[in-house]
Amino acid sequence: MTDLPLLSVLIFLPLAGCLLLLPVWNCRVSARPIALGVALIELALAAWLYASWRGLSTIPAQLPGYLLQEDAAWIPAFGIRYTLGLDGISLLMVMLTAFTFCVALTVSWNSITEKTGLFLTLMLVMESGIMGVFLALDLALFYLFWEVMLIPMFFLIGVWGHGRRIYSTIKFFLFTMFGSLLMLLAIVALHLTHAQQTGVATFGLHELLGTQIAPETQLWLFGAFFLAFAIKFPLFPLHTWLPDAHTDAPTAGSVILAGLLLKTGSYGLIRFGYPLFPQAAQTLTPLLYALAVIGIIYASLVAFAQEDMKRLIAYSSIGHMGFVAIGIAAWQPVALSGSIIQMANHGVTTGALFCLVGMLDERAHTRDIRAFGGLWGKIPRYSFFFLFFSLASLGLPGLNNFVGEFLVLVGTMKKAPLVAALAFVGIVLTLVYTVRLVQEVLFQEERQPLPLADLSLREFSLLVVLALLDLWMGVHPAPLLDMIHLPVQLLTGTP
Amino acid sequence: MTTADIYAIMPLIILTAGCVLCLLAGSLRPGFYLYPAALAVVGAALLWCVCVPAESVMPGMTVNRFSRASSAFFYATGLVALLMAYGYNRRRGIEGEEYPATLLFALLGMGVTCSASNLLMLFLGLEAFTFAFYILVTIERDSILGGESGLKYLLNGTLSAAVMGMGMALLYAGSGTLKLAELTTVAGIPEPLLQAGIGMILIGLAFKLSLVPAHLWTPDVYQGAPAPVTALLSTASKGAAVVALLLLFPLLQTWQGGHDLLWLLALLSMLTGNLAALLQPGIKRMLAWSSIGQMGYVALAFVAFPAGGDRAALLYVVAYAAAGLAAFGAVSILSDTSERDDIDSYRGLGYRNPLAGAVLALAMFSLAGIPPTAGFMAKFAVFAAALRAGEITLALAGIASALVAVFFYLRIVVVLYMKKPAELSEVRALTVAEILALGIPGATLVLLGVYPQPLLDLLKAILA
Repeated sequence: MTDLPLLSVLIFLPLAGCLLLLPVWNCRVSARPIALGVALIELALAAWLYASWRGLSTIPAQLPGYLLQEDAAWIPAFGIRYTLGLDGISLLMVMLTAFTFCVALTVSWNSITEKTGLFLTLMLVMESGIMGVFLALDLALFYLFWEVMLIPMFFLIGVWGHGRRIYSTIKFFLFTMFGSLLMLLAIVALHLTHAQQTGVATFGLHELLGTQIAPETQLWLFGAFFLAFAIKFPLFPLHTWLPDAHTDAPTAGSVILAGLLLKTGSYGLIRFGYPLFPQAAQTLTPLLYALAVIGIIYASLVAFAQEDMKRLIAYSSIGHMGFVAIGIAAWQPVALSGSIIQMANHGVTTGALFCLVGMLDERAHTRDIRAFGGLWGKIPRYSFFFLFFSLASLGLPGLNNFVGEFLVLVGTMKKAPLVAALAFVGIVLTLVYTVRLVQEVLFQEERQPLPLADLSLREFSLLVVLALLDLWMGVHPAPLLDMIHLPVQLLTGTP
Repeated sequence: MTTADIYAIMPLIILTAGCVLCLLAGSLRPGFYLYPAALAVVGAALLWCVCVPAESVMPGMTVNRFSRASSAFFYATGLVALLMAYGYNRRRGIEGEEYPATLLFALLGMGVTCSASNLLMLFLGLEAFTFAFYILVTIERDSILGGESGLKYLLNGTLSAAVMGMGMALLYAGSGTLKLAELTTVAGIPEPLLQAGIGMILIGLAFKLSLVPAHLWTPDVYQGAPAPVTALLSTASKGAAVVALLLLFPLLQTWQGGHDLLWLLALLSMLTGNLAALLQPGIKRMLAWSSIGQMGYVALAFVAFPAGGDRAALLYVVAYAAAGLAAFGAVSILSDTSERDDIDSYRGLGYRNPLAGAVLALAMFSLAGIPPTAGFMAKFAVFAAALRAGEITLALAGIASALVAVFFYLRIVVVLYMKKPAELSEVRALTVAEILALGIPGATLVLLGVYPQPLLDLLKAILA
């Protein structure tokens, strides 16, 4: 089974799926099942990997902590290799990616009525790009995938978005490009430093890890990486693209933005930023703490003032990602595990919330909180899920977000008690805006007589799956924690 | 002259004969049948370059792997431009034999340029193809813009040719030789003569490359000339000038000021080109300003010459040529019989004309340097060379202007795909020639972006 280059299959299967779409380009009815089928095969692959990760971890002759690796020459003239690797952290992200794309394709089943062929193709291309980001172990290859995933999202927001979609999509693209271009320079500089020291021209992560860099240079290089990842994260004050992009994106776009694109930032920081430049990272840790805490509190306050539900959830994303940032900054096994788990948790929960808002928008053609009220009585099934995921989002024990936030706070408490305390204040603020959202939308008097239908079977089953996942990750996160245990220990250097 | 010599310069002979025959045949029986004939001529020259490994050293000319590979590149570019012109000229009523004949002549000039081994031959080659472009730019006789831009190009061009010629004369006066190989080794060229000579040659080449401050002709000429002519002008002629710069570079390196001058040219071009392109309402002028910026990156590669900049420069030229051909090819098809220059008039055309739209968008992504396109690999090579040479300031300026560039390239993509079309004109099916003219550069862009290794190997071999 392992003879098959599984990681390449994970990356290129969606691309191959695009070819299947070509003959049915203009036939919406047959194109949708094909795309969903490809996404489901990806999910099955990811699930198989999850089921067999313990077996894989016993295969010898791998880098420590890695389950699967692939390596081939690609552009020797530049020293770029096609190196992929899967460890517990990547596997969690791969599972999240495969799952989120199934969610995104299902939720937009009926809502994308124009240019469906193009839409589905872009979705699959994006799945390839994101898989690549989570699997690449060669910095140049990583950069390539990092940029490739941008283009489909650019079209997704620009073509099928609403509101100021063009403004938002250009803003999104330029912000990301700004960070990535500087990161590209830093990657090349790192490569050259390594080549000078050892005479080996390589972009491979594990070769570059041993590079000796002068502290000042290290600060500059880490700064460039940090900027690129902080924009994706997004950390305050680089977050301004996010509310716009989220608000104007189609539901599938929001789900992928929140569920996956933000994770690429934190993943990059964990996989590349901190390990490559440990001293510089240490020096800048207070900055990361500060930005994360400001982000949590600021975003929560702003979220409280929003009238557009999508915007509110977008701001809540900034807050939740702030916890991920704190966990990374602590760089300590418990907190880092919490961060990684929180990445997956946030992907599922916020993805679900965006789905819910998308469903409401499809029915009522507005997302304004002031338009709703009394949904609990009118569409009870919908309201149940809305309440469920809101509770998950604010960190109710027993549901998934609690696990991540708890671990992050416990881990951080040891290293930076003040930060942990301030972050806790942030949790309280989260409670405030979420309760306001739930109260106004679900329980208040009906404010506009909107003709609303309750969930269809497709929507219902989608939400049931999401809810079960939330519950499972909240009640029994041990298998996932087990999976990331070894990589986290290797990263933090505490075996 | 031996048989080996004749074999070596056979592509040039083919082009010359084709050019003359084209003119003769045209005077007897004019018509569009001359385009396929010219295509066959270029194809033959291209095939010869690629397939017959004949090399020789002649007085004034050296045919080697480098010149063969560069000629093949020029002829391939010419081929695509001819394919593009075939339908375009028909639609616009640009009749007569002078178009294909002049184009063949331009390719001849480029072929001579890249195999020149002394200053005189280099000058002849450069001026031969520039001369051909003076004619091609104004070939649409009824076009007011064409006439105006032709005159501007001619006046600027002759001035720069005079400056370059003067520079070469000064070097000759100082060294007593015209041979490129000897010029670098001759000791005791008086310093002022060397400096003035190199400086003037650089200015002449800066005009051909449209580097700031010798760039002012570019926007007008790009806008005024027919799109297929602009396509060739912005790609092959730039390539030939880069090759000339490459041949002269050992000479340039003998004077440190040459480096500083190029440094300044690179910086000014990257900033001016990319900033000015932001403000352009017309697509051709936008592409013109952006090409000035793009050439700034080539100059950046030359600044980093000792650190592998030569290979980066050539890779950049190939990637840029593919993108330029793709962009102008798509523009020439999308604009159809109307004069569609306003960027706003391209609204929603991406869906109306899927192939042309997709190729134009692809070209924009490549010019912006976004993977997986050739433009990314080229920018990557240039920046790697720049950092290796320690040109950090210039690299940062390049990155900053590249970010600005992303914005105006994206604007085209936005207009193509994200805006509602204004009017509903009927869509014409593409001819085979047009599909090829779009498909060849488009495929090149993707192939080079995904797997540039073969080209890099080739460049390494020819530069050794």
